[in-house]
Amino acid sequence: MVIRHIRRVKNRISSIVKRIFRKKKDIKIGLYGPVNSGKTTLANRICMDWLGEELGTVSVIPHETREIQVKEKVTIEENGKSLTFNLVDTPGIATKIDFEDFVKAGLNKKEAKKRAREATKGVIEAIKWLDKMDLVLVVLDSTKDPINQVNITILGNLDARNIPVIIVGNKIDLKGSSIARIRNAFPKYKVIGISAKTGENIKELYKALLKEL
Amino acid sequence: MMNVRIKIVPYETLKKQRFNGIIKDLRHNTIVLIDAKLTAKEEAQIIAETMRNVSDKFSGIELGSLDVEKSMNTVSKIKNAFVEKITGKKRGITIIGPANVVRKIKKNPKELLLHI
Repeated sequence: MVIRHIRRVKNRISSIVKRIFRKKKDIKIGLYGPVNSGKTTLANRICMDWLGEELGTVSVIPHETREIQVKEKVTIEENGKSLTFNLVDTPGIATKIDFEDFVKAGLNKKEAKKRAREATKGVIEAIKWLDKMDLVLVVLDSTKDPINQVNITILGNLDARNIPVIIVGNKIDLKGSSIARIRNAFPKYKVIGISAKTGENIKELYKALLKEL
Repeated sequence: MMNVRIKIVPYETLKKQRFNGIIKDLRHNTIVLIDAKLTAKEEAQIIAETMRNVSDKFSGIELGSLDVEKSMNTVSKIKNAFVEKITGKKRGITIIGPANVVRKIKKNPKELLLHI
């Protein structure tokens, strides 16, 4: 408890110091999370809400996003406050990529192997980009068990780099969604439940971003 | 029948080798057991290295770790932080298996369960 409190104070001080020295550089907000948690759907929702255009394509086949995608100068506003940032959508982090899974999803063998190759590069890129982020939205599928090694590794890496985190529990429009399950799994983080697809509760996320940065 | 091996490796040895040999073992159906909890950065390093080695025959890994600190009271945590500072390793356990051998590692705060 004491150690956690010391760590939290240390992180807070580091975040304030970063904020002071960040003034002139571009703020980068990253979308991280496991595969198919809805990162690109959320990126598209944010871009549509504030820029009127989408960022990337979405698909039910895993690893649709295999390269880092950046939308520059997104400005959000709420109650007279505004925040301009670069939105960075990253490929889903995974510990295994089997081309056979893509074949099962309907791709032919050649396409599946190509997709697997690109997806592995995407994971490496996503890990490399961690150091560049000013804040990360960790997007989790709220219908799934949040306690898995990928989620723990992502959060641990952000913690180790003192990068502020908001956990976004996505897909609250689906049956079986539970934000309480995510809060219980990761009690020290701010968790906001949204549906990137329908836009439900998205304003809470914008308020949290304005408050955090 | 698949020939599966389990290798138990001291954390210090792996750190000295910068985790280089680990992927070679994993590609040859070997489950690796480490006597420490890896740091998040080390886990990310292993995931990135795994991705560099993914092929038709090696689809990746399953990784799970336990942090003993979570089940400790405040005094023990302070003592533990002191011990970890001296030894340079985080007390706990890490298990890494090839994805074609280990289907899933189920984790709860006190134990890891391997589904093979």
